[in-house]
Amino acid sequence: MTAMPDVLPEIETAATYEKPWRLIVWNDPVNLMSYVAYVFRSYFGFTAEKAEQLMLQVHHDGFCNVRTGSREAIESDVQAMHGFGLNATMTQEA
Amino acid sequence: MAKAFKYGAHGITGTLHSAERKLLRELFGDVITMLEERALVHQLPDDVDPLYALTGMRPESMDLPPVTDPALSKLLPDASDDPVVAAEHRRLTEADLIAQKIGRLREAQFLMETDKIVLEKENGQRFAQALNDVRLVLAERLEIRDEQDAERVSEVLDAAEVETPEEYLALVYNLVSWVQDTLMSALMEAEY
Repeated sequence: MTAMPDVLPEIETAATYEKPWRLIVWNDPVNLMSYVAYVFRSYFGFTAEKAEQLMLQVHHDGFCNVRTGSREAIESDVQAMHGFGLNATMTQEA
Repeated sequence: MAKAFKYGAHGITGTLHSAERKLLRELFGDVITMLEERALVHQLPDDVDPLYALTGMRPESMDLPPVTDPALSKLLPDASDDPVVAAEHRRLTEADLIAQKIGRLREAQFLMETDKIVLEKENGQRFAQALNDVRLVLAERLEIRDEQDAERVSEVLDAAEVETPEEYLALVYNLVSWVQDTLMSALMEAEY
């Protein structure tokens, strides 16, 4: 049997806090409201109400901050949105 | 005339007649051609480490040229207002995005073989994406920039009254929009 040492060597951790990134979906006169609501529901798993609310926000305000996350997560969201043909961008929080 | 997509016992079904299918097949083909032309700029010079070609990666020093055709830029938009972030995102993801879009457009072309189109959730979603790409390109050709432009185009509904190529294009756009909109209702019903 092996005994674990009583004291584990101290590991130096240097945490870096990167500011989160935002996924923004922009309004355009082409994408159908039914399609945008469907994409929000199907890709993000939002409820019908939430998807509808975000879609209307895009429609009325010109854009909507759909979600916030790590750079990698938002990068892949942007790519997925472009796959659906939605105009999406990413920006880091100030 | 086309019949709306519906969700029922046989899945998602819709009907498109031969002239409509021929037209749609051509439109899918036009978008594929645009994307294939863009794919050419992704080719790496011969003196680059072949590992890049194998992995589909692109050296950091080799950003892609900007997309200048406004219709193509609707299909492959910038990922950020920050040009450095946008260029990096394009370098890392554009080749994949082009390949996915071409795959869905080809699949959509195959669906245009029969009058009756029967879809499941997965290929229904991919078909909606292909239709959407066609609409993005047509909208750019029709110079739809805001809601008023969209309104103007949506009024062209009667084929008998169409006189100019632009009106014909508007009619086509409205057909594709209608097909996509009925597909979205059917997909929503099928999925939820």
